[in-house]
Amino acid sequence: MIRLALPKGRNLEIALAAFRAAGIGLDGLEVKDRRLRIEFPDDGLEVLLLKDWDLPLYVQYGIADCGVVGSDVLEEVDGDLLTPARFADGHCRMSLIGREGSMPGPGEQVRLVSKYPLTARKVLADRSWGAEVLKLGGSVELGPLLDLAEVALDIVQTGRTLRDNHLVELEVVRQVQPCLVVNRSAYQLYRGELNRWLDRFEAAGVVES
Amino acid sequence: MKVSAALPTGVAALFFDSARHHRELEEKLVARLLESGFSEVILPVIDYLEPYEAMLAGTPSVTRRDELYRFVDRDGEVLALRADFTPMLARLIAPRLAALELPLHLFYRGDVLRYQEERAGRERETYQLGAEILGLEGEEGERLALRRFLELLAIGERRRLLVVMGFAGALDRLLLERAEGSDPAALAAAVMRRERRAVRGGGDALLQVVEHGVPDDPGELGEEAAARLARLEALCRELDEAFPQVDLRLDLAEFADQTLAGELHHATGPRSYYDGLMFRAFAGAAAEPVGGGGRYDTLFRQLGADVTAAGFSLSLDRLIARDGDGLVAEDGR
Repeated sequence: MIRLALPKGRNLEIALAAFRAAGIGLDGLEVKDRRLRIEFPDDGLEVLLLKDWDLPLYVQYGIADCGVVGSDVLEEVDGDLLTPARFADGHCRMSLIGREGSMPGPGEQVRLVSKYPLTARKVLADRSWGAEVLKLGGSVELGPLLDLAEVALDIVQTGRTLRDNHLVELEVVRQVQPCLVVNRSAYQLYRGELNRWLDRFEAAGVVES
Repeated sequence: MKVSAALPTGVAALFFDSARHHRELEEKLVARLLESGFSEVILPVIDYLEPYEAMLAGTPSVTRRDELYRFVDRDGEVLALRADFTPMLARLIAPRLAALELPLHLFYRGDVLRYQEERAGRERETYQLGAEILGLEGEEGERLALRRFLELLAIGERRRLLVVMGFAGALDRLLLERAEGSDPAALAAAVMRRERRAVRGGGDALLQVVEHGVPDDPGELGEEAAARLARLEALCRELDEAFPQVDLRLDLAEFADQTLAGELHHATGPRSYYDGLMFRAFAGAAAEPVGGGGRYDTLFRQLGADVTAAGFSLSLDRLIARDGDGLVAEDGR
């Protein structure tokens, strides 16, 4: 039985729709499900419901064989996981955010706030700013809004939060989307079954192909 | 004053049963190596950085420069803590080779230290036991190294032992042909991550490697690589019978970054660590391999040792962690 880790929240909705479109029912599993561990014998699956940020660790340690997680989390966690598919739905952007016209120029000293400090350092590596990165747990938009930082690096979906707070996307630095991630060891063990999943995902048009 | 007993992330102290278990396994593995005619070498924990500088520039699967614990000694020399045994052994055996009778069967044990970002699951200090077979010509040395590796791996009660095999340069021709106009290193990385979409543009044969480990038509790899694959398949069948407790698999995608073609080195790094057979072992369900090895003649030559070289290392910490405590299920969890 394959153990699949699914993220709570928005990506669960996308993952459930994708699996169901591919004929993998996960009957009875709902977006607001409060169970943490659910067996689906008909699908040959056991599902773990986890927080986004914990999910790669569970897959890395082999507690789960595979999972669905955003590429933003995956890049930040920097684990050694396989990513055989990227889901077609659920795209958003990782962007530098600030006040209108506040994009720092070459050589300027800036402070950047983000939930993604490792990714932020990568983004800054090829810029000529002197930069200090501060990690925040949430409401990152408050950083540039209250002058804690010149810029923030965060996920933008519709842009409404930015508009409501008189902020703008200064630059899109990454496209973000949910990915199927697989543990290297599990990939060898369940290769046949995973390939069948991938074929069905592709036939249903729910992953990029 | 209360003194904290905390340790940095990625290092561990072993007490009582853990320490005993570690030493028992170590002694069993060492006893097997000694029975097989290996001699122990004891290598220092601190070494000069300079002899390895050229190797650290982007070489895949070798310790990265930013993983090294390095420092300037009081006399101004740049030193590094041991992050890998094999290059140090190559450098130190080089001046002694002329006086030694080949082949040499050597083994080592001890800690290696690599800086890792501070987060759960990252090891900064790990205890390795490894072996080198020097001076066996052709593919004999690498085959013997694999056999010895499997013998050591089979010691103990581990379940779901999986060894993935491939060889350096296997996909060079496909990567060079298919990545025309794009970045072959990016294509190799996509193959390693089994990214179907990115690989699909590289043609059917690469996609088959991603999906099944080998192409449907080995001829697509080129004559030399196809012949090597056939020999590896034969070896796999032979070892399957000898080691029924180990699940042996061929997967060329797992080693896609180990290229031999000079044209690829500008993209993937100056050179590969391995230049022949490669293997990697997984025990239980965790993604981190418990060990691996292969052939690395070029690495030895670069460090002054003109001799064929094959070998392997095992992480005792990971092996013991995967042994579990009797709660391991049939599927390895």
